Amino acid sequence: MIELQNVSKAYGTKIAVQDLSLSIEAGELFAFLGPNGAGKTTTIKMIVGLLFPTRGSVRLGGFDMQREGDRARQLISYVPDQPFLYEKLSGREFLQFIADMYGMPREHGRQRMAEMIALFGLSEFVDDLTERYSHGMKQRTVFAAALLHEPRVLIVDEPTVGLDPRSVRLLKDLLRKEAGKGVTVFLSTHSLDIAQELASRIGIVDHGRLIGCGTLAVLRKQASLDGSLEDVFLKLTEEANEERVGVQPSTASAIKSRTW
Amino acid sequence: MVGELQQPMLGGSLRADQIGVFRRLRWWMFCNSTHLMVQQGLLRLVTIIIGSTLIWGFVFAAAIVGFHFLGQRYPLTGDFVRLFLDPLFLSLSGLLVFSTGLILYSSLFAKAESAFLLCTPAGADQVFAYKYQDALTFSSWGFFLLGSPVMIAYGMVAHVPWYFFAFLPFFFLGFVLLPGCLGATVCLLVVNYLPRQRKWLLVAVVALILGVVGLWGYRVAQVARPEAWNRDMAYNLEDRLSLAQYPLLPSTWLTRGLRAVARQNLTDAGYYLTLLWSNGLFAYVVTAWLARHLYRRGFNRMVAGDLVMRRYGGHWLDRILAGMVGFLHPQTRLLVVKDFRTFRRDPVQWAQIVIFLGLMILYFANIPRMFGEQIEWSYQNSISLMNLTSTALLLCAYTGRFIFPLLSLEGQKFWILGLLPLRRERLLWGKFAFAACGGLLIAEFLVVLSDVMLHMTWLGMVVHILTTAVLAVGLSALSVGLGACLPNFRESDPSRIAVGFGGTMNLVAGLLFLLIIVGLMAGPWHVLGSLAEQGEVNTPLADWVVAIGLFMGLVAGIGTTVLALRSGVRALARMEF
Repeated sequence: MIELQNVSKAYGTKIAVQDLSLSIEAGELFAFLGPNGAGKTTTIKMIVGLLFPTRGSVRLGGFDMQREGDRARQLISYVPDQPFLYEKLSGREFLQFIADMYGMPREHGRQRMAEMIALFGLSEFVDDLTERYSHGMKQRTVFAAALLHEPRVLIVDEPTVGLDPRSVRLLKDLLRKEAGKGVTVFLSTHSLDIAQELASRIGIVDHGRLIGCGTLAVLRKQASLDGSLEDVFLKLTEEANEERVGVQPSTASAIKSRTW
Repeated sequence: MVGELQQPMLGGSLRADQIGVFRRLRWWMFCNSTHLMVQQGLLRLVTIIIGSTLIWGFVFAAAIVGFHFLGQRYPLTGDFVRLFLDPLFLSLSGLLVFSTGLILYSSLFAKAESAFLLCTPAGADQVFAYKYQDALTFSSWGFFLLGSPVMIAYGMVAHVPWYFFAFLPFFFLGFVLLPGCLGATVCLLVVNYLPRQRKWLLVAVVALILGVVGLWGYRVAQVARPEAWNRDMAYNLEDRLSLAQYPLLPSTWLTRGLRAVARQNLTDAGYYLTLLWSNGLFAYVVTAWLARHLYRRGFNRMVAGDLVMRRYGGHWLDRILAGMVGFLHPQTRLLVVKDFRTFRRDPVQWAQIVIFLGLMILYFANIPRMFGEQIEWSYQNSISLMNLTSTALLLCAYTGRFIFPLLSLEGQKFWILGLLPLRRERLLWGKFAFAACGGLLIAEFLVVLSDVMLHMTWLGMVVHILTTAVLAVGLSALSVGLGACLPNFRESDPSRIAVGFGGTMNLVAGLLFLLIIVGLMAGPWHVLGSLAEQGEVNTPLADWVVAIGLFMGLVAGIGTTVLALRSGVRALARMEF
């Protein structure tokens, strides 16, 4: 469903993603892990078509993101780490906007909106303007909007930040359920316990390179370590860092020295 | 197991629906915003309406006087009126190109909404069209505000048929499309092909525009003398303004079309109206097509090409400012430099001041060219008062837009300053010193420049310098004090803080203060000076009235400053973050 082939992305002189190849099947819950600045968000932005790869290609549902992006985006829902809501719309109007944008038939849209409002417990505030929502209320509304049109690929970036334990639990159940229905879930997170608990496969990225990918068992084998995902993650990123420092010159030379 | 999922709805029907989707979105937001404004922001709405009406009325009155003046000498429906309308509409179209381009750049490439919409199936051209219509509405607001009073005044003085006024909005609407599309095209091309040089390009374009306008203004001022209108001067003026009358310019079509309606020549009027609309709509289609191919690419290039890392540190400007406020407590001094550093690193903020400052300097420097070296006393008197008021208005805008939001912006990071071994009131003193220093420097420079160019007497200059000093200090104190009394900690965007309830109150208070101070301190000198020149008032008595006015203005200024800062200090001491 998601296919990245030798994808690289450069920001000026800085290489954010380097030769990344990845294939994620329908119904898979894939966790994407990595330290800060590893290239996770850049990868996600390329998958949703916000950024174009400098090299390589991204295909989603068989559509090339660069050439057939409008078709591919019809299949996706993306929940970024800082989700966007129109402040001057109510939650219900925002859901209606999403239903209309994805061309849902009116009756089906209404039915799905009612389901989402019930599922995420939005009924108390759904008719209030979103500018008055708390972070948790916003996050729930964004998830309701993301699932409203029954996407085939759900991409979520740091979904648990700022959520209370109850909401985190709801979210975990939801992601599992969606994957069970055949939706491909691409989850980028720093929360290793959630990744370990939910993911069928895990990818670890560091300095733009995919340094490990597979089930927890595969990653343990790669790290020659029989510990938790946290131990495996730390060992693999540490090894990759040592290897990188030994091989690559410092990026400091790329920094434009200028006082401003 | 993978379930059977619906195939996405693709193709033309969805694309056609998107127009309706965006229309509904705009309608919902308009209804909700209007409802909120009526419920909570009535004061803001009233201020906007009053402010706009005042500006409209002022331009209308000036235009009526101007057209009456011209009407006594030349037939207003004849060719002569082109001398004024062509440059007016050419200048306004230049402003439209620039403002539409800038607004579109911000809304297409720098807003979270754009990234959100680009992740949906919305076509790039649909997102562009939605944003373009918003940008054009916003940027042409000024065009309607300035263009409509001039043309209505023209119609009234020239006794044009009634349908001239009915035609006006259609001509204006058709006209704004073309400069708007040009601005949008430039924006798309710059982002796609010069993403890293865009800021320098903007600076270069502004400098070029100022240079060209300055040169053009200089050449026109060389031949234009308001006191000596004659046919030779009109021919010379026409020659100097020939650039604005180029037949392929949309501004020329607009002028010719409107003049045709005024002369009741509906065939020509219809031709120019059709010319404007057909070209405008064609340009819109071409720009939307361009956006379809370039918007996403540009978004990618903007994000990907924007990571030039810089090492930030001290700057000679910081050191100069620190030296200037060396008499303050070291902690307050640090806060002043911190605020200045934040300000100078945000070109969007200071560029607005620089543009206004540049335009005012250009105008002040050209005063002798416009009115001759031997300026009459009546001109000296009225123009210097007008220049003083313009400078005061710029000061009012500067303190309202940049100083008032400063304390609200601290709110979100108050845990840093709040935990420092620092008395809270130092925060306020720091912002006051920053505002007053900046305000004094800018405003005094402008007022002295204007007075020197107008060959004002030393007494007149002293009156203006004192008035400006009281205004700079008082307006700074008002903005800082009210900023502490009416903070808005929910917003992180200073422009939105400035137009909120507190910002509007500050603007109203600032304008009132401005009227009182100019009325008390500069008003008597100008009014009585004028009467004394005509021998209608006793000179020693006039001197006493001027002195009393200055003293009262000084007292009012000190009183306002103390009161505003004291209220601010108290509010800050009580404030919970």
